[in-house]
Amino acid sequence: MTDNRANKRDENALWTIFGYLLSGLLFWGGVGWALDKWLGTTYCTLIGLLVGMGGALYLVWLRFGRE
Amino acid sequence: MLNLVRSGAEGGEFVPPSAKDFELPPIFGDNAFTTKPIFLVFFSVIVISVFFIASSRKAAVVPSKLQFAGESIYSFVRNDLARDVIGHEFLRFVPYLFTLFTFILVNNLFGIIPLIQFPAMSHVGFAYVLALFTFFVFHYVGIKKQGAFKYIKEIMFMPGVPKAAYILITPLEILTFFLVRPLTLSLRLFANMFAGHLLLLVFILGGEHLAQGAIGLKLISPLAFGIGIVLTFFEFMVQCLQAYIFTLLTALYIAGALADEH
Repeated sequence: MTDNRANKRDENALWTIFGYLLSGLLFWGGVGWALDKWLGTTYCTLIGLLVGMGGALYLVWLRFGRE
Repeated sequence: MLNLVRSGAEGGEFVPPSAKDFELPPIFGDNAFTTKPIFLVFFSVIVISVFFIASSRKAAVVPSKLQFAGESIYSFVRNDLARDVIGHEFLRFVPYLFTLFTFILVNNLFGIIPLIQFPAMSHVGFAYVLALFTFFVFHYVGIKKQGAFKYIKEIMFMPGVPKAAYILITPLEILTFFLVRPLTLSLRLFANMFAGHLLLLVFILGGEHLAQGAIGLKLISPLAFGIGIVLTFFEFMVQCLQAYIFTLLTALYIAGALADEH
């Protein structure tokens, strides 16, 4: 039973982490892309993606790494 | 018969299965609401209702085989999914989770039942609607329990984080809760059913095509059919797993919305 419950917690963590990483890339990557379009630059998308990745990892750490 | 299901396979040339094979023609005239997946969805509701009414109608202390089967499925959803995940308030969510699980399971299993052999969930629209239900359920539950303002605040601002960091992570939390969650929920189910059906099409239609070819190709044909049969059992596993995971994640989201802090 406890093993079963731990499995479900892992499942939850897995998909939550996946969701954070995805939204990190989508949102900040999207912001960077929009900045690129607006300013005519080419490097903002990359910076945005990196910021999104970092933010997502930070969020994962906040949620699962603090205990 | 084959023409009804599969257009463009005439003329000897092998047409590899593609997304076109999922667009089945309407059964009655031009009415787009009379395609096979739609009938399958209605049929699944009838199958599920008949099965569970039959299995619970003559409920006895010493259960018959049918009653035992029905009760096993019910207690699996009730205990393993709802109670273990949601905790003490689980009982009012059992009907929803149970409906979700059996509905997805039966519709997925249609993908490998002979003569039916089409998983309705391989059309993304059905999966979207199911995810939308879950989306509304878990947000409604959270808002009802904690109040709209507190619930949203809880999602947006995780406690114990420096204020400057909110600029970085608040958009991600909002996106995760309101877009990525329902989207991944539906796309996971859809993509698994779509890919599985396509895989079976490749091996079984390929086997059929090989059987019509030269003698050397005829010898390979049983191999393709053999792999098709093995993959059918594999699909059975995937179909059960996807129904389980959809229901499990729904239960987890409800549990998350009910919890006072994440």
